[in-house]
Amino acid sequence: MHLPDGFLDGTTALATAGGSAAVLTYAVHRANRELGDRLVPLLGVTAAFVFAAQMVNFPVAGGTSGHLLGALLAAVLMGPWAAVVVMTAVLGLQAIAMADGGITAFGANVLNMGVVGGVLAYAVFAGARRLLPDSRSGFLSAVAFAAWLSVVLSAGAAALELAWSGTVPLGIGLRAMTSVHMIIGIGEALITTTVVGAVLATRPDLIASIPPGLAAAGDAGASQAPPQGPADGPRASRRGRARLGGFVAAALAVSLAVAVLLAPLASQEPDGLERVAQDQGFVSAAKEPVLNFTPFSDYELPGIEGDLGLILVGVAGTLALFAGALGLGRLLSRGHGQTATDEGAAPGPGAKPGAGPGAAAGAGPAAGRVPGHGPGHGVLGHRHSGHDHSSAQRDAG
Amino acid sequence: MAGTHHFLTDVRYGTSPIHALDPRTKLLSVLALAAFAVSTPPTAVWAFAVYLGAVFFVLGLARLPLGYVLRRALIILPFILAVAVFLPFFDRAGSGSYEVGGVELSHYGLLILWNVAVKALISVVAAIILISTTSFPELIRGLEGLHVPRVFTLVAGFMYRYGFLFLEEAGRMRRAMTSRNYSGRWFWDARLMGHLLASLFLRSYARAERVYVAMVSRGFEGTMPGAVPLDFRKADYAFLGALLGLLAAVRVAVAA
Repeated sequence: MHLPDGFLDGTTALATAGGSAAVLTYAVHRANRELGDRLVPLLGVTAAFVFAAQMVNFPVAGGTSGHLLGALLAAVLMGPWAAVVVMTAVLGLQAIAMADGGITAFGANVLNMGVVGGVLAYAVFAGARRLLPDSRSGFLSAVAFAAWLSVVLSAGAAALELAWSGTVPLGIGLRAMTSVHMIIGIGEALITTTVVGAVLATRPDLIASIPPGLAAAGDAGASQAPPQGPADGPRASRRGRARLGGFVAAALAVSLAVAVLLAPLASQEPDGLERVAQDQGFVSAAKEPVLNFTPFSDYELPGIEGDLGLILVGVAGTLALFAGALGLGRLLSRGHGQTATDEGAAPGPGAKPGAGPGAAAGAGPAAGRVPGHGPGHGVLGHRHSGHDHSSAQRDAG
Repeated sequence: MAGTHHFLTDVRYGTSPIHALDPRTKLLSVLALAAFAVSTPPTAVWAFAVYLGAVFFVLGLARLPLGYVLRRALIILPFILAVAVFLPFFDRAGSGSYEVGGVELSHYGLLILWNVAVKALISVVAAIILISTTSFPELIRGLEGLHVPRVFTLVAGFMYRYGFLFLEEAGRMRRAMTSRNYSGRWFWDARLMGHLLASLFLRSYARAERVYVAMVSRGFEGTMPGAVPLDFRKADYAFLGALLGLLAAVRVAVAA
């Protein structure tokens, strides 16, 4: 999603750079106030983490892989303002040191991936948290939803900028960019939720946006106190369930409305739409070999958009997403007793860890995979459950 | 993954007039070239020929291997293929079209494709020359010299130093997973990658805390001393002057 130079015209480049600069000025001010002289080391190392995390490919399907954007992850862990600074540094390094993303398009890239993908998606996350129960699964469901949305919104913002520049007509660009990224966003949601879930279970004090209901272990500041496994069951009261239901209804309605509203935009170019459907086979076929020999561009997911209409894709995606987000939150919070808590914490109610993600994704998990998951899971889980995290650094290799 | 950071460290530490330029000169040149190229209308084909000529002339001066530069420039290709390559197939009213082998290509769409491809190419080759002739500390010093806010240069410096470390660490964890028979193929296998990243984050954070304490104990108060002195010499004036003169002349001629 890193826009190269030439895709945006001068006006759009200047306008987006101005917008990003304004937000950045405020973000630096806020981050400075919150972090003080811890700002530079903390943000620098977080930026390095996001930079490295973007290089770690995760499987998507049948050998293709995607990677994390990380804006919402950084926002949940560090707060939205610190996240914008982190993403700007990451994008700047990629633009200057790797020629990934253009110089004149830098403002737009910061706007799309830092401001929209970080701050705006964080606002959605904060809103969702208010609606969801104050529990681990509620928290993680909000993370999953906002992470998915951050990728889709980033792509939508890029499509808008491309349309303003006269490069790609709005209808086509919006449809192509958002539909592909609705799929990519599922990976983002899955990874982000897993990372946040594991950090929540081991060092909840590190999460800036820690939910009050889960903050008991985190109140002691940067203490390395062993985590209390946040007990989800008792806390998910009846009131919580009602709030969860309300959230699901409201968010579903909003998402479906967005998905349906995109369709008229897309149909501004009926010929174009028909043509893109014809030509997309060719586009995705052409994309695949290229992806294999450039080191970090396997992010784009080829050939999923197919011939389905936007509404169908949007509605199906939204429904699958909701099932996924809620299921993911549930399963991760149920399974975490086994995955990453201390020995002292109450064990989870016997959820098989391996069954989680597959079921959450709405696809039948292969039963044969479960044994493969169990051991590796446990090893990784225990690895970061100790008090001294640095001691585990060298033994993995 | 671990140990092969060719995308960042594949810097040709050569000696050429371009290597010797002040990093500020090179940064400003890339910015100016990208800005001029982006603002030039795509119909002025000769102007892009001049821009490309200038870029490849500097490439020759820098004595960088052409194959290496072009291979790195492939980074723009996926974006062009994903976003722009289908544009010629769209019909724009009144723009005219061509028939090539039974496929209709619109004039306007071809123009846009040419526009984004040539501008992206000019800018990316210029950026590759910059990063292949300038070490990272020099780049950071150059950015500081251009008054980029210190918080960004400091954070970028940290990121550069620790990025390698974390990549190696992720590579070690990945290898450990692979040696325990992890073979992620489908996205529900991605959950383990999530645990890997969570583990990486916790270790990163623990390291950040240690680094911070170490820095404070050595007198850190929010800024770092600059190590590489900047030196804007006659060659820098000459290079920047010649480039800006050329760009301005081309741009004026295009506008006329």
